Amino acid sequence: MTLMSSRTQSKPSNLTEAETELGFNLPSRRDEAWKWTDVRGAVHATARGLTRAGRPKFLLPDDLTVEEIIRDDLETDTPMAALARNFGDKVWEINVPDNYKGVIPVEIDGFESGHVRIRLILGKGATLSLIENHSGENGFSNIDVTIILKSGATLDRVIMHGDGDTQTRTLTTHVTQWGGSVFNQHTLSFGGALARLETRIAGMSKAIKSHVHGAYLLSGKRHTDMTSYIDLTAPDAVIRQSVKGVVTDTARGVFQGKFHVRRPAQHTDAEMRHDALMLSDRAEIRSKPELEIYADDVACAHGNTLGALDEQALFYMQQRGIPKDEARRLLTEAFVVDVFDDMKDEVLRESMRTKIRTWLEVNG
Amino acid sequence: MLKINNLTATVDAGRKTILDGLSLEVPAGEVHAIMGPNGAGKSTLSYVLTGREGYDVTKGSVDYLGEDLLDMDPEERAAKGLFLSFQYPLEIPGVPTMTFLKTALNAQRKARGEDDMGAPEFLKKSKAVAAELKMKADMLKRPLNVGFSGGEKKRMEIYQMMMLAPKFLIMDETDSGLDVDALRVVADGVNALRSPDRGMLVITHYQRLLDYIVPDKVHVLAGGKIAATGEADFAKTLEKEGYDAYV
Ligand SMILES: Nc1ncnc2c1ncn2[C@@H]1O[C@H](COP(=O)(O)OP(=O)(O)OP(=O)(O)O)[C@@H](O)[C@H]1O
Ligand SMILES: [Mg+2]
Repeated sequence: MTLMSSRTQSKPSNLTEAETELGFNLPSRRDEAWKWTDVRGAVHATARGLTRAGRPKFLLPDDLTVEEIIRDDLETDTPMAALARNFGDKVWEINVPDNYKGVIPVEIDGFESGHVRIRLILGKGATLSLIENHSGENGFSNIDVTIILKSGATLDRVIMHGDGDTQTRTLTTHVTQWGGSVFNQHTLSFGGALARLETRIAGMSKAIKSHVHGAYLLSGKRHTDMTSYIDLTAPDAVIRQSVKGVVTDTARGVFQGKFHVRRPAQHTDAEMRHDALMLSDRAEIRSKPELEIYADDVACAHGNTLGALDEQALFYMQQRGIPKDEARRLLTEAFVVDVFDDMKDEVLRESMRTKIRTWLEVNG
Repeated sequence: MLKINNLTATVDAGRKTILDGLSLEVPAGEVHAIMGPNGAGKSTLSYVLTGREGYDVTKGSVDYLGEDLLDMDPEERAAKGLFLSFQYPLEIPGVPTMTFLKTALNAQRKARGEDDMGAPEFLKKSKAVAAELKMKADMLKRPLNVGFSGGEKKRMEIYQMMMLAPKFLIMDETDSGLDVDALRVVADGVNALRSPDRGMLVITHYQRLLDYIVPDKVHVLAGGKIAATGEADFAKTLEKEGYDAYV
């Protein structure tokens, strides 16, 4: 009997109420790529925006515009992209002309709930910075972002994420990089009921550069999943990835990173790091760093650590008069912030630091 | 100023007794040296006095300026002026030396009910001390002790000591790892702090340091106790004859 019922349970056709509404199977523990982030279990039929298009708000410099385009084709085969197509109504598209020099950043927010498709194309030699704010409550947000960087283009992207603990969010970004383009991404996440922030990069031509950094700080029962897949098909790519995690209470952090270096991608120089700090022993970290390398002349490395604060360093600080709680906060802040060290925008970097500090005041 | 009475302390969850009925008194204004064989418990004494976890006092008492020292948290002891120059200073990754020290100084001041020291005053003081210790300015910008050489770490301990201006100083082998010039600079710094209301405990293996910082008393720590005490020149005898007579 038990066996029978568990089998029917695992049948994809056995839809949850939310899945019935969507007419679609949400990713769940049974899918290898989602084994630690069970969207199916987290999305309720009553979630705001479950079957609706979201309404992002764009703050643009005068010389850029957003077009609303109806299109049905998909550029990827990820499940959440298909869902965004089914319910997102349209694509919000920004075309940045060749050699555009972005002085004022593009800011996007309003990702409170619903399905959204965004497309950002940077023309040859264009530079731009993009700031996104993702936050919401009692809802489901499924954001699908396509970014195309033509040769020599540079994009600096900052993602700020902090949801209420009743919000489920998937943010999937598909980046296509052409020759000599540069993609810098810094993500700061304070989690939500369940959040997956996924970045997929395809290096299509020579000498691309990508920095894919991030930090998550999670308390309560919050969950953030930072997943990335970087697929290199051409020589001379330089990839840097450093993700730092801090978890307390019974929160859960997930890091999955994969570098896929195909045979033509000779002289790839790629480094992946994930370092996590457990402030409580009931918190959880799951990580899966992967290198899949077919080119023979490359320098690829990865590192993954999981630890607690150094008691000896804490005592040293106390001996100098710093109370233990403050010593903890200082060490934790120092541990996290270095992933933002290479941000060019100082004001933005300082605001990330302030957010981290505020979090530590409450949870550290 | 500091009165240690019949102190017994264990490590390794009580399995190992290191200090075994140690008594020692350092009056204000005096400098006492502690010498003794490796593993005698000199560093252990410094940790017990500063309140490090894992060093358990099972007997005895320590009176510091009329208060029960053992009853206080480490940071409380620091705010009351107790300073330890570590035998092996710790590296504090990601925290610039200046940030660290300013936080420490103002935490101590806050605990004593004093106002924060403002940035300009702090910087001015820091510059003066750094110059006195012949320290490179970039050392103060780097994360505390990270990648510093052994000698640089020791010098950084003295810099912190001079910035915090503590009342009671414990120096645990501050001289080891220092070259002759650095030793002189550090000793000058320490001597400048000597005053009628300050006490010092200087742990060392070498007479050399005591040529510069002349102690009022020299003690031998062996067998978990103060096994012998003498005047300044006692250090010379010990260096010549070793500790055979005391172990
Ligand atoms: N946490 C600990 N666990 C187990 N043993 C310890 C611990 N701390 C110290 N000990 C032991 O206690 C003894 C005293 O050590 P301590 O460091 O105090 O010696 P010391 O006199 O400072 O020696 P040195 O001159 O080499 O610096 C040593 O045998 C040491 O191994
Ligand atoms: Mg020692």
